[in-house]
Amino acid sequence: MRSNWKTIGSLLSSTMLAVTLSACGSGNNGGSEGAAAVQSSAAGEASTSPVLTTTAPAATVSASPVDALYEQAKKEGKVIVYSTSGRANDAAKTFMKQYPGIQVEVSKVKSDQMMDKVAREQDAGQFNPDVLVTKEVSGAVDFEMVKQGRYLKYLPEDIAPHEDEPFRTQAESVAGYAEFRTLWYNSDHYDKPPVTNWWDLTTPEWKGKVYTADPVGDPSFMNLFSTFAVHADDMAAAYKMKFGKDIELHGTENAGYEFIKQLLDNQLVTLDGSTDVLDAIGKKDSDALAIAVTGEVADLKEEGWHAKPIYDLKPKTSVVDAGYFFLAKNAPHEAAAKLFIRWMLGEADGQGAGIEPFNEVGSWVPRDDVKTKNEIAFDQLNLWNYDGEALYKIEPKVRDFWIKNK
Amino acid sequence: MAPDTGLAFLSYVVLWPVFMIVSSTFRWNLQDLRLSDQAIPGHFTWFHWIRVLASDTSYALFYHPVFHSICVGAATSLLSMVIGCGLAWLVTRTDMPLKRTITFLAVIPYLLPAWVLSQAWLMFFKNEKIGGVPGFIQSIFHISPPDWLSYGFVPIVLTLSLHDCVYFFLIVGAALSTINPQLEEAASLAGARRFTILRRIVLPVVLPSILSAVILVFTKALSSYGVPQLLGTPVDYQMIATMLYSSMRSRMTSEASVLSILLLLISVAAIAFYFRALGKRRSFVTVSGKSAGGSAQALGRWRNPAAVVVLLLMAAMAVLPLLVLLAQTFLLKEGAPIGPQNFTLHYWIGGSDPDINSGEPGILKNPIFLLALKNSLKIAGISSILAAAGGLLLGYVTVRSKRSWLGRLIDNVSFFPYLIPGISLSAMYITMFAKPVLYLPALYGTLSLLVLITVVKELPFTVKAGGAAIMQLGEELEEAAVVGGASWLTSFRRILLPLTRKSFVSLFLLVFIGAMKEMELIIILVTPRTETLTTLTFFYAERNYTQLMNVMLMIIIAIVLIVYALSVKLGKADLTQGIGGQ
Repeated sequence: MRSNWKTIGSLLSSTMLAVTLSACGSGNNGGSEGAAAVQSSAAGEASTSPVLTTTAPAATVSASPVDALYEQAKKEGKVIVYSTSGRANDAAKTFMKQYPGIQVEVSKVKSDQMMDKVAREQDAGQFNPDVLVTKEVSGAVDFEMVKQGRYLKYLPEDIAPHEDEPFRTQAESVAGYAEFRTLWYNSDHYDKPPVTNWWDLTTPEWKGKVYTADPVGDPSFMNLFSTFAVHADDMAAAYKMKFGKDIELHGTENAGYEFIKQLLDNQLVTLDGSTDVLDAIGKKDSDALAIAVTGEVADLKEEGWHAKPIYDLKPKTSVVDAGYFFLAKNAPHEAAAKLFIRWMLGEADGQGAGIEPFNEVGSWVPRDDVKTKNEIAFDQLNLWNYDGEALYKIEPKVRDFWIKNK
Repeated sequence: MAPDTGLAFLSYVVLWPVFMIVSSTFRWNLQDLRLSDQAIPGHFTWFHWIRVLASDTSYALFYHPVFHSICVGAATSLLSMVIGCGLAWLVTRTDMPLKRTITFLAVIPYLLPAWVLSQAWLMFFKNEKIGGVPGFIQSIFHISPPDWLSYGFVPIVLTLSLHDCVYFFLIVGAALSTINPQLEEAASLAGARRFTILRRIVLPVVLPSILSAVILVFTKALSSYGVPQLLGTPVDYQMIATMLYSSMRSRMTSEASVLSILLLLISVAAIAFYFRALGKRRSFVTVSGKSAGGSAQALGRWRNPAAVVVLLLMAAMAVLPLLVLLAQTFLLKEGAPIGPQNFTLHYWIGGSDPDINSGEPGILKNPIFLLALKNSLKIAGISSILAAAGGLLLGYVTVRSKRSWLGRLIDNVSFFPYLIPGISLSAMYITMFAKPVLYLPALYGTLSLLVLITVVKELPFTVKAGGAAIMQLGEELEEAAVVGGASWLTSFRRILLPLTRKSFVSLFLLVFIGAMKEMELIIILVTPRTETLTTLTFFYAERNYTQLMNVMLMIIIAIVLIVYALSVKLGKADLTQGIGGQ
């Protein structure tokens, strides 16, 4: 009996190994395929510069950059996309019709998990994805991935002149689409927006009548509240506009934190997500307000919500939340990747069908030659720019402030 | 192969990730530049521990949530013990009618994702606080349920208990069914009352199983995330697990690591308590190799009422939510009145229609579905067999090992996977298995890795339940076999395995269900080629395609029910029968 546990141990591990290795044999190609890909891309373009604007691979000579890319991409055969948004799946469907011979495989991952996945893969020498579609996470994507050369900016030369700022030169990458979080009201109960200033929410009239997705569980909502703290001067000015006097801080650092504190004191209700928040005010008659993302406008009918977003609030309506496109470092199917990004950007003229999933109500494509489906053009929206560097620094503090005061 | 390879392997897949997490909490990492100007990535620091345990944020970040977590853990294990053991006793030890039906139904709440149960709760009990369509109680009786009933502690405990009481039911049920009724008869003849028999004979025998299940359910509740997120958020009822996920999502990785280590320590303390409660007598032999027949406890005039009450409760807990979900898959528009104009099979067999869900076809017409189905069946099938066998073997080691420190070590270590958040564990597995290690090829990107992580993640349950099953067997049987010339392996296969058949099937089943539902663990490990049913479900859920999501749930539940029925039949492991079957 004494040495039985040893026998058991080795028995267990050998069966586990034998079964895992043989039963799933088909999967084992993954390793060698990945290794081959590493070699080929290392031999090819090994650019470490975060901005790539090259379009045509040297190998093929052809009339347009698209044709050349397509020729090369057909040899690669496929393109692997990690995406936070299902919109990439919709773009993939039209892409495969337009460019037969290239298979698009989309994996859906949350933005923070994508960072972990890609960083760990790359550190282990596996270069799996070609294209990344992701939102920011309080500046972490920029700091932890872009600045480390893991996600690369790719803006084709012929599309660049049409891309709006800040996404052409200032932002970390090209934005396929932009949304933002704002207040919504019940469109049966009110015929026009019942508030015009964020500070309205701190008055007794709105006590217990404002819903938000819990920013403690969802950093994209925390970004909005952190932005109030970043732009405290704007918040102070809006306070004066509303109440006619200078703001008085009650033990808080600035007008941004003061706003959060007063909002929490006014019994802000936190729920699990954007959908729950719109259910709360939109499913039946309601005099309450909800903070939710504009992208939900597209689902109003399907979800049966009687709700409308407010597109003008003082001091600013909200902060931009962009869906960025990146090329992955050492992308194994680089030409196909570039071709797919071009497709999602709507090609050179902005007319390609790949842009359609991104050009929706509640979602703006930041190109000057693409007509928006929204009543208001993107540059007419009164929004703060996304200051990733400031948000990255301040967000842990705002989160601490939030959980301590809630 | 060297005899210690097995342990080395276990250490690599379990201890190494824990070590990595622990060591990361004592170092500055790149992300910490946002937290402190003094951060030098790679250097030693106490910062993260001080921040969690002794800063002005500690109360909100740790102490308050940990208090909630422990309360929920304790209450949930108590409540699910009452429900699970009660049911187990009724179906194994009494003459209640319809036992098989009830046994079959008892597993259903566990098949439903826990958040479905939470949503069902809200459907009934939500009050005006969270707006929207009022709950049934409010709209029918015009009474607004108080916040404590609608959200927070009470509903969290109730939902988790309903969901997890199946652990008690199956583990304790398997133990109960091994007790020879003659023991009870003898006591009864000697004049003992029914309650005395329960307390003095039945309870001591099933105590190891009960304690195992207590530990399992306690730790599961401690680390549960989805239910507290949904039911706790409106009243700001934070638990450690919800805090931990928040830290992780906001890129405060070291803080998340500190929180998960603290969770781990709480559970290690609980296990230490378990050993103390078991005391020196760790073995409660009930099976001496003789088939146990005989009569059951007569319920007398309570026989039929008991069955009716249990069935009604089951219907409310299991069948009703299931039927609601099923009905929803046929509704063209969610929430619209049911009628012929709103009836559709589109979500099952429809082609692509641009007006519905951006052209997403019905499930059975979706080419990815077939791949996902194959992958899921492979992962769940292989990993549940491996996990059940491995659990019995390791459970054997924890119980029988003459070096008791080893048994305890394995018992403790096998618990770690429950407490490392699935996301962290799987992220570490990318690093650990993206390159070939020792004699292992690079497993990342293959189904093998998904099988491996599923087996590892279920270790706590399989080892604990396996150990509880082995504890019931007398050592004499094996010794007799060995004396008779059988190798250890033969005696395991010919004696232990048949006698623990019910436990084996329970283990297999629970792991299978877990693997079919598993999401969080594999979400960042899957590649397009290793898509599973749950990742597809997740995709629909994220896009708010409710009906498609419900179709997926129905399919998953149907598969599990079929496997359940088959394994009970083929494994001859009917809980309602004594060992050996009749």
